Amino acid sequence: MQLECKNLKYQYPGANLHVFKALSLQLPGPGFHALFGPSGVGKTTLAKMICGKINGYTGEITSNDMNRILYTYNLERIPGWSSVREHFELNTPVANRHIVSELIHSFGLQTLMESRFAQLSLGQQNRTNLTRYLLQDFDLLIMDESLANVDEVTKEKIILKIKDMFSERCFLYISHNVVEVAKFCDQIVVLRSHHQVPQAVILTGNNHKNGQPLDKHALEHTMLEIVHAS
Amino acid sequence: MLHRRIYQFFIIYFLGLAALMVIKYGLSLSDYVIPSPAEIWQTARRFFPIYFVAVINTLSVAILGHILSICLATIVGIIGRLTIWVGSFIRVAAYNIQAYPIVAVAPIIFILLGDGLSSRLLIAAMICYFPLLLSFIGIFSEPVYEIEHFFESTLKMTWWLQVKIRAFENINKLITVIVGSATLAMVGTIVAEFIAADAGIGYSIRIALFQSDLAKILVALFLIGVCTSLYLVWLEWIGHLIQKRWEIPEGG
Repeated sequence: MQLECKNLKYQYPGANLHVFKALSLQLPGPGFHALFGPSGVGKTTLAKMICGKINGYTGEITSNDMNRILYTYNLERIPGWSSVREHFELNTPVANRHIVSELIHSFGLQTLMESRFAQLSLGQQNRTNLTRYLLQDFDLLIMDESLANVDEVTKEKIILKIKDMFSERCFLYISHNVVEVAKFCDQIVVLRSHHQVPQAVILTGNNHKNGQPLDKHALEHTMLEIVHAS
Repeated sequence: MLHRRIYQFFIIYFLGLAALMVIKYGLSLSDYVIPSPAEIWQTARRFFPIYFVAVINTLSVAILGHILSICLATIVGIIGRLTIWVGSFIRVAAYNIQAYPIVAVAPIIFILLGDGLSSRLLIAAMICYFPLLLSFIGIFSEPVYEIEHFFESTLKMTWWLQVKIRAFENINKLITVIVGSATLAMVGTIVAEFIAADAGIGYSIRIALFQSDLAKILVALFLIGVCTSLYLVWLEWIGHLIQKRWEIPEGG
């Protein structure tokens, strides 16, 4: 399982500037990877190009053994007519039903199951939305600020659980938070503005997992590397 | 809701009547031109039962025409939301055809279908259909990305689910448009009856016009106003029930 972008060049229709001029990057395979960079640098654009929602670019995106690529973002909503439980029941593939209760418990959704989406807080909405995507069949899940409104403690629990439960899958976590990217992610793609060469720098993160001690010096070093690269 | 609409109508109606009386007595016009209040009252007492039946007849046709136009606008709106050429063709056609006055086409409908129920029904439906269609096409063509994205990404999206999402998200707009077009349905039916029909309050007004009997016309207008207000109130009540059923208290 591998994702590779070669010499991507893209300009939004009607825009004067290119988002990407010669973007190349490679993700090795399963793992919790990050796409990091300042606002407006093209993280969401790249995510949408990878999942096929944006076309009309030059260059090549190849994904070996990655047939099912899903993209989720933090503003998504569940239809207002059904409760969280009804939505999960209707939209979870039969093969994945055995992990529903584990995810609900780990993500702290037990008390929210009978609620409608609009009744939830922003953080609860983020967790609910991410859960329904994790219940789908996917090889790569792109999480575009999917946990933006979740508190730090819960966020850490969720990321560690995802890494634990879906170790054979690939994740691309888009975030502006240097600490969480450096701490939890395996490979970190630092995206830079179009006039910087190369436009993407790949760093190795600390890939912190449940039950493993965290090397604080290594974490600080990675954070400095990320800041320096961006 | 009911008393507010009826009060509003009464105020407007009696202000109009008062203005007529000011003109009549200010210019010393004869009872033949503008009848006296006593004559209007006498006419109302004599013709109320006949006109009441006529206005109920008109209202029934208007309601049927309104339902017909809602169904038609829903079907065409659903097809018009498509991004393929059929949807595009329907959207352009709808915008062009709605600019054509239906009243001008009405004589053709009467020539082809005669002056019976079908002509009245068709004209009523056509008059309120186009405003409904434009709103329905607009609502059904507008994607709700934050909800639809998941179903499209996971290949679970169906045409029915898409329509349901868009209707649910725009339920207030849909109800407002349906209530607003009810008046047009009533207007359409009366216009149809006025042009050529053998029943309904528009037909009664046409006869009163030939007799130059303004008192009868004023009585007919009163009944039209009351019945239209009642229909609008009923529609608003149904809309309120639907909104209340789907209303969700926001959390945080």
